[in-house]
Amino acid sequence: MKSSATRPSKSRRRRAFSRGDRVTLGIFVGIPTFFHLVLVWIPAILTIVLSFTYWTGINFGDIKWAGVANYDNIFTKTPQFYEALRNNVIWLLWFGFIATPAGVLLAYQIDRKIRGHQAYQSIYYLPVILSLAVTGIIWNFMLRPDGFVNGVLGRDIDEAISFFGNYDINIYVIMVMASWRHIGYIMLLYLAGLKAIDPTLREAAAIDGATEWATFRKVILPAMRPVNIIVIVITIIESLRAFDMVYVIYGTSAGLPILGILVFQNIAGEGASMKGAAYAVILFVLSIGPIIAYLRQQFRADVS
Amino acid sequence: MSAENSKVPESGRGFTVNRRELLVGAAGVAGAGALFAACGGGDKVVGPLTFGARTVDESPTKQLKALVAAYEAKTGNTVTYNATESNAFQNNLSQYLQGTPDDAFQWMAGYRMQFFAEQGLLVDLSDVWDKIGDQYSESYKIASTGLDGKQYFIPQSWYPWGLHFRKSMLADLGIDPDGIYNWDDFLKMLDGMKKKGLVGFAAGDKGGWEAMGTFDIINARVNGYQYHVDLLAGREKWTDPRTAKVFEYWEQLVPYMNDNVLDLEWDGAMQLLLQKKAGAMLMGSWFGGNFKEQSDADYEDLWIIPFPEINPEHKRDTIDAPIDGFCAAKNGTNNDGGKDFLAFAGDMEGVQAMLDTGVPMTSANKGQDTSAYDAFQTQQLAVMAEAKYVTQFLDRDTRPDFAGPVVGPAIQSWFKNPKDVNKILESLQEQWDALPPL
Repeated sequence: MKSSATRPSKSRRRRAFSRGDRVTLGIFVGIPTFFHLVLVWIPAILTIVLSFTYWTGINFGDIKWAGVANYDNIFTKTPQFYEALRNNVIWLLWFGFIATPAGVLLAYQIDRKIRGHQAYQSIYYLPVILSLAVTGIIWNFMLRPDGFVNGVLGRDIDEAISFFGNYDINIYVIMVMASWRHIGYIMLLYLAGLKAIDPTLREAAAIDGATEWATFRKVILPAMRPVNIIVIVITIIESLRAFDMVYVIYGTSAGLPILGILVFQNIAGEGASMKGAAYAVILFVLSIGPIIAYLRQQFRADVS
Repeated sequence: MSAENSKVPESGRGFTVNRRELLVGAAGVAGAGALFAACGGGDKVVGPLTFGARTVDESPTKQLKALVAAYEAKTGNTVTYNATESNAFQNNLSQYLQGTPDDAFQWMAGYRMQFFAEQGLLVDLSDVWDKIGDQYSESYKIASTGLDGKQYFIPQSWYPWGLHFRKSMLADLGIDPDGIYNWDDFLKMLDGMKKKGLVGFAAGDKGGWEAMGTFDIINARVNGYQYHVDLLAGREKWTDPRTAKVFEYWEQLVPYMNDNVLDLEWDGAMQLLLQKKAGAMLMGSWFGGNFKEQSDADYEDLWIIPFPEINPEHKRDTIDAPIDGFCAAKNGTNNDGGKDFLAFAGDMEGVQAMLDTGVPMTSANKGQDTSAYDAFQTQQLAVMAEAKYVTQFLDRDTRPDFAGPVVGPAIQSWFKNPKDVNKILESLQEQWDALPPL
């Protein structure tokens, strides 16, 4: 957005604002900016500063400079960090290659008004109205050792299928749970975009003899660029900030380490240390890096 | 059901008990006497206060509500009862105490209390101890004392960590509980259970803390009390071959455990015992109430013995016996009220109100008539009496930034692959060395 405004290619910039306009704009931009700074950026910067200190989080007088000790601890001494990183990467890949494409595909099918499309739409959208925490509670009820699935299979606690306790599969169990909600979310976003596409585009493609797949790839997908950006950014953010569902099932124990849990585990409760802040900074850098890069590239492409 | 609550950490947050229910209860207990006491008594009026319970389970809630009701009846003062699920309460405690906490709240003795006392977040209860201190033995006073020599804690109850089983199941095997003295006796019993197609040793470690008790006791049995305490204080090394030895013994128990240790929390393991699917379980005796909820017959079948001897040099001389109780929060709006309530809770009168609910409790108060103990409680006392050294529990005996975030996950990864023991111990030592200086 910034880059398009600074380019002198259009004459839009020359338009003068009246005094009243400026005051209105000042208020509309100023108030949100103020709250954004106070509630988001100042805490974020403080977190970054604190991640270089030792502190239990209670008395300001106890803050001690630690240099990069917290980061050194995380990168070289904490095996959990790499397990968490691995799990977040699996999460991202799963969302990127399975859940998100599935959502897009569903949206496309429903938009083509296949039979019963309204029923499908409701069914897939239903989980989205639930918070991730509630989703976790529902699935926990289904899959825990004394839960619904083991009950139906007639397995007692001692011979129950271990969905959450088997560390070889539990990340995939969680992925199925998370996808249950994510697919519907992406579907809805995409569907809204598809509805806005001019039907004449499709007609033109059909007249030119394009196949369904070619129409989707060459006509629909490019026309959907703004939505695509949103979908990709959401997929990355959802994968990295994952927390609620895992917390509902495992608490802060290491049952399924992911970065969000490690932040909380090290900063909440009695064991608070600024190692948690360092985890938060790592997560911040991981999330913001790819997103800024992607957005910049996209907006540059838009302008040219 | 209690099992429900602990499976869903968020569900209990902010759960508030209906006021009317409490008041009706209070009126039922003491009726008009309450008003009289409030007007005529010599006590200063302290005003309404709030109390934070760190449980939403059925039995302890019944106990605490009875305590609150008795206090209200006696003083005419009103108490708002707030309950939070225990894991959530623990995770939020720092923030809670710095924000607008309840005037009095449930907490634990030892290091975990001292830490918050050091930060100036707890009310000095020394004058309460002057009043009721003679009802407690010296060891409880020590456990209630902060690093500055003042008291910040009022004990409520204690419970031993021991080997729990059902008498009837042992009788089926023809084994006399008193005959299980050492490691070999113990393995023989587990073998018998296994041959009957049962789980020998029920274990759960999904919460990440449950198995710490097993580490504590095997370490104390193999290497002795002093080594255990020194290890947790950082004076001995996790990489020491003696520490590895603990896991050698522990690994011998793995074949007798349920397969889904990492999928069960403590109450899941308890269910195995309750449903007669498992022969034995190492746990704190607090869960007697859960057995009693099921039926009196189940409760009467429950038994405890000390964890078996491994190294004859150390016999069965050490036990984990944590003390639970209450603190008053400095940032509460009514510190005097909090203190007044805790003075009542620590006094035999308050203890009696909790005992009268019929929920089993081994009180820290000397005034509880131990001759009125039921058989299971008497046995808990016997188990305690055999021990020369009392420890609290791993997560109460070592640094909090080490126990939860480091030891918990390490033990879980050991369950995942016991062969990794040396790697895990090296990592533990490395992470201990990397802790911030105190």
